[in-house]
Amino acid sequence: MTKSNIQSIPVGAPWEKTGNTSWTQCPKCNGWFHVGPEILKRPEVKLHCPHCSTDFAQDEAPRIIKAG
Amino acid sequence: MPPGEADILDLRSYLAAEKTSVFRPSQPVSTVHEITALQYTLEKQGRRPIVVIEKPVLANGKTSEIAVVCNLTASRALVAKALGINDHRSAAPIYAKKTGNPIAPKVLSAKDAPVQEIVLEGDKADLTLIPALKQHSYDPGAYLTAAHATTYDPDTGVDNTAIQRCWVKGKARMSYYPYPASHNNRNLRKFWAKGQDCPVVFWIGHHPAVLMGTQAKLGYPESHWSACGGLIGQPLRVVPSRTFGDKIMVPADAEIVIEGYALKDQLEADGPFGEYTGYSGPQVAAPVFQVTCITMRKNALYHDYGSGLTDMLVPDNMAMEGKVYSLVKAVAPSLTNVHVPAQGRRFHAYMQFSKPGPGEVRDALTAALAYRRLKMVIAVDDDIDMFDDSEMMFALATRVQWSRDSFTIDGLSGSLLDPSTVAGAKTLSKIAIDATFPLPPFPGAPSPVPPRSKVPEAAMTAAERLLNGTDMSEWPTL
Repeated sequence: MTKSNIQSIPVGAPWEKTGNTSWTQCPKCNGWFHVGPEILKRPEVKLHCPHCSTDFAQDEAPRIIKAG
Repeated sequence: MPPGEADILDLRSYLAAEKTSVFRPSQPVSTVHEITALQYTLEKQGRRPIVVIEKPVLANGKTSEIAVVCNLTASRALVAKALGINDHRSAAPIYAKKTGNPIAPKVLSAKDAPVQEIVLEGDKADLTLIPALKQHSYDPGAYLTAAHATTYDPDTGVDNTAIQRCWVKGKARMSYYPYPASHNNRNLRKFWAKGQDCPVVFWIGHHPAVLMGTQAKLGYPESHWSACGGLIGQPLRVVPSRTFGDKIMVPADAEIVIEGYALKDQLEADGPFGEYTGYSGPQVAAPVFQVTCITMRKNALYHDYGSGLTDMLVPDNMAMEGKVYSLVKAVAPSLTNVHVPAQGRRFHAYMQFSKPGPGEVRDALTAALAYRRLKMVIAVDDDIDMFDDSEMMFALATRVQWSRDSFTIDGLSGSLLDPSTVAGAKTLSKIAIDATFPLPPFPGAPSPVPPRSKVPEAAMTAAERLLNGTDMSEWPTL
């Protein structure tokens, strides 16, 4: 995963809601889908787009928006 | 028919016995979204029949020869009846008592086991014959949702069973997701740490009482076969699996069995997947499962749970009621009942008390919060019908001063699938609410609170008589 395709959700004060879900974008169809924190720690596991069934590595994703 | 000594419990005999509660549409229905949509529509209309789809149409357009059974456990009343319990509202103490008295399973030989009538090995073992459903929009494919995964602890040999999702990816390959906190995951990690693939057997389709028994919430390692026997009041009939022999038994009267291995250290993307929370859970890295053998009965039935729908929540929540009852009764003898409502997913529990002693309700609330799945627990008196949400709101509205009667505890274990959890957190914040009234200050004195408004019973009976036979179909309900 290259740093250029990752954006982190800014963390606010403990009483401010920021959400807990990370999203990634498919390089083929540009569809977004949500991914868990553990799979993002395993770059060797290819992500699978549920919209167009493309398998791709994290660094191929146009954007990853990371929670936490 | 409630289970008894002489009964052989299985799904097909249950459907025959409950035929007036079964909806069997004659037309083809697609396994891609349409069967699940039917369940959502029934739920919206407040109807909870069992649904049998005789002509399920697969994603490739072919009609499967295997019928789909869904909505099997959407009705608490039907599930309680399957357990031999007359009133679903009294299930918690009965479930706790029965699963606490285990009965060892009865081992059959292969020739006597209906689930091994058909054996498919090698190239004939084809997962795509099974009419697995693609349920929700973000699901990437067809999932087994009622596959009971049975593994064993390699150190003790003790079995463990849990419902865990499987994404069918090919004829002999699927991903399998044992939730990280589950006992099956612990077994899998033990095998992998020894450098071995983990043996797993999935069994699908059985009598609801057996499904409930194998969902008993147990310690580790404890046998689910024996807990199930306790619940059904007779030994569960099991048979050695084809691949693993008596190391992994399977219920002899199940409909379908899938045997194989979770391959060591092999992980693939799995999900997103519509979860019990009512939200789509994120994509995860899940073990890869390789099939060695599929066995099934002649004219097999395929059972599907609507993930996040009532038919999935009811049996698990009723099993939770038994577990919470056991946990809390140990510290609060005045506990009389527990309800884990489907509206609260698996996060809420209501507990009922009769004449609790000083401190007992708070002891009970604290004990219940320690149960991993729960996030909110509410205590009520025995005049509140805790199976009626309007009664629960009445108790909360009129018997609680929030700063005095509620407390929160941060940092307890819980489900990280809860969409409200803090990103990166591994624990939750939980709340307990005491919605009980104080007891009378002196023996024989009235309670030091206002009496609840009511009209005499005779007047209520007269009102019901007045309305009897009146056409109310055009009257507003809101």
